[in-house]
Amino acid sequence: MSTPESPKETTGTGKVGVYVCYCGGNISDQVEVEKVCESLRQLPEVGVARSNMFMCSDPGQELIIEDIKSGKVDRVVIASCSPRLHETTFRSAISRAGGNPYLYEHANVREQVSWVHHGSEATAKANRLVAAAVAKAALSEPLQPIRVDVQQRAAVLGGGVAGMKAALELADRGLEVILIERSPFLGGQVARLRHLAPFGEDAAAVIAELAGRVQEHPAITVQTCAQVEGFDGYIGQFRLQVRRRPPEAEEYADQLAAGSAAGAQLGDVVPFVGIMPQRLPENLEEQEITVGAIILATGMRPYQPLRGEYGYGDLPQVLTLPEFTRLWHAARSQRQGDLLVVQGRRIRHLAIIHCVGSRHIPGVHDEGGRGYLNEYCSRTCCTASLYTANLIRQTYPNTRVYEFYRDMRAFGRGQEELYAQASDSQVMFFRFRAGEEPQISPTSEHPTAPVLIRVKDVLTFNEELEVMADLVVLAVGQEANPVPGLVELMKLPVGADRFLLEVHPKLRPVEVAVAGIYLAGTCQAPFDVGETCSAAAAAAVKAAAVLTRGYVELDPFVAEVDLSRCQGTGACVEACLADGALTMVDMTVDGQNVRRAQVNPALCLGCGACVAVCPHNAINVKGWTLKQYEAMVDAIVAEDLAA
Amino acid sequence: MAAGKPAGKILILATESCAYPGADAVGQGHMSYPANTYVLRVKAPVLFPEKFYLDCFDKGIAGIIIMSCGVECPYEGAYEALAKRIDRVYELMKERGWDIRRLRLTAICTVCTRAFINEVKQMHDLVAELGPPGQEQQLAAAGSA
Repeated sequence: MSTPESPKETTGTGKVGVYVCYCGGNISDQVEVEKVCESLRQLPEVGVARSNMFMCSDPGQELIIEDIKSGKVDRVVIASCSPRLHETTFRSAISRAGGNPYLYEHANVREQVSWVHHGSEATAKANRLVAAAVAKAALSEPLQPIRVDVQQRAAVLGGGVAGMKAALELADRGLEVILIERSPFLGGQVARLRHLAPFGEDAAAVIAELAGRVQEHPAITVQTCAQVEGFDGYIGQFRLQVRRRPPEAEEYADQLAAGSAAGAQLGDVVPFVGIMPQRLPENLEEQEITVGAIILATGMRPYQPLRGEYGYGDLPQVLTLPEFTRLWHAARSQRQGDLLVVQGRRIRHLAIIHCVGSRHIPGVHDEGGRGYLNEYCSRTCCTASLYTANLIRQTYPNTRVYEFYRDMRAFGRGQEELYAQASDSQVMFFRFRAGEEPQISPTSEHPTAPVLIRVKDVLTFNEELEVMADLVVLAVGQEANPVPGLVELMKLPVGADRFLLEVHPKLRPVEVAVAGIYLAGTCQAPFDVGETCSAAAAAAVKAAAVLTRGYVELDPFVAEVDLSRCQGTGACVEACLADGALTMVDMTVDGQNVRRAQVNPALCLGCGACVAVCPHNAINVKGWTLKQYEAMVDAIVAEDLAA
Repeated sequence: MAAGKPAGKILILATESCAYPGADAVGQGHMSYPANTYVLRVKAPVLFPEKFYLDCFDKGIAGIIIMSCGVECPYEGAYEALAKRIDRVYELMKERGWDIRRLRLTAICTVCTRAFINEVKQMHDLVAELGPPGQEQQLAAAGSA
């Protein structure tokens, strides 16, 4: 990788500034950046063409700011990573320099060039894409953003730890919050746990503290048994149709029965269920709420093994870790000695199998009727397994514990210690390779008989070992809680792993592509409770920044009628997809009383359906005009562009 | 197409809410595809009139892939209007003797990386076979002579 040369002066006469990023080698390893700059300097529209190791860095942005302030540049082309990452960054830099932030165009030469093409091809393509961006920028007009008032109220969807934490963070900043939970309970998946690894906090106490504060906070309204059924609007002015209804006959029947059996009152913790903060609705209730921001905290669900997966569903000796946690709780309350007893069965040997439902490898693992693989690491199961093993060894020293793992991923504070502690406690470890998972078979038809686990153990140089176990616990991973209705309504991006997708995993980790909607917690990725709270707080702060300002500025990319060309055919009004966005009105143009098309910018979607049908090209979407696209195509096909 | 000549250029009109992030996802996965492809970000391809496509071919673009959001289009009714327009473009292409496979309307989502690669490779192979726009008329004339 070569290093950027010192900025060179212009040879062009125009005022387009071109700024090409090395991206620390991500671009320059394939694209000859200086060659691109040199080539672009030959274009008459270009005043300055410069490079920088990181255009998004402060020194990179300063280059742009200085050129605008000195008058060398009045419009900007950035050639760097995808505009989805840094469009806002560069617009902001242009504004700080006193320029118009919409006199700016972006060439994506990382995701769409250097990461997919190599060598001279990459340089040639980058050259043409930047030239096309220059052609578009040269035709850009200064625009002003559309200012919209903000409803200083937020909706938080999901009443688990993430939702409650986000709601409290917003409410503590003086903002009104409506917390919408699909089930009758607050607490989410954490309510179904007993202890939180690695430090062993009481899960119920964590839930009780959060739910107690949520219920007492005057700025928070909780709506359980509620779902969002309708959605429209935009950042600052989202409209949600919320439907609250009584549960169906079997829906939540077990959880509600558990609450009744425990004699729980409203607001009490029901073990492994959660907290019911309000009575069930008796009838269907519908209402429309308007909010300025939305936080999605729709959570995760534990992976449910397929029948027969490690014997699950066929062998009563095989359970998931969440199922075992409940039985452990019951066993602890009836403790009778130094040997774990589960449902009347004495557990002398207990096996824990890691990576169940996680880290699937295409071609190695089978979708098995699910229709998908979980290729990601669920990140929390190794620690949960080690914590469980230690707990068993400390509480029931006569119960032996075996851990079957692929790779041990106990990162983070207090987690490596769990591994060391398990080793000291004589937990026995077996390591298997992907595709050579332990095989479990019954030793007799009797449900209490131990099962046989066969494994090719990497730690003993692939020796084939057999272990007898009275109970097998599957350390299941996390899966995204499916929310197809919200995905459809809000056009939410979903990743290949089926979790909701942030704009950028590092730079914009709690934002989605839809402005004003934020992600909190395990709807985004597998997190532990601490990470979930951090993400929820981050989402709340991002939302609060929008809500407390009182207004937002929207991109001005809406239709605009050129009255010097409009002949009043009305074709655009017929083609318009948004009711009321385009109308025919009487007006005076050049002293003549005429009927012409008029745009309502607040209602215009900016889709351009009107543009294509105008026979006189008298209507265009600001910032995305037909002439600009034609100029880009001209640049792409140009013969004389040096490669 | 003569051996050694660069492949004809392919224009990709990619919607900013679906296909453009999809193209980014291809890059994030470092999945290589032919470099004779030029992605233009569009809010909705319904913006382009019939003439735009014909002009592109006249200018020398060998193939156009419209990567829309399909039924996921955030602008209700836009995809249907686009599909009708493309049908009209096909008629105009036929009148000019152009192979209508040079223009393809497809839907690519934000994570449709394999579909993206597949579409690009198919169009790449097609323009390699057909040559520049108008060459199919010459080939047809030569075949009938």
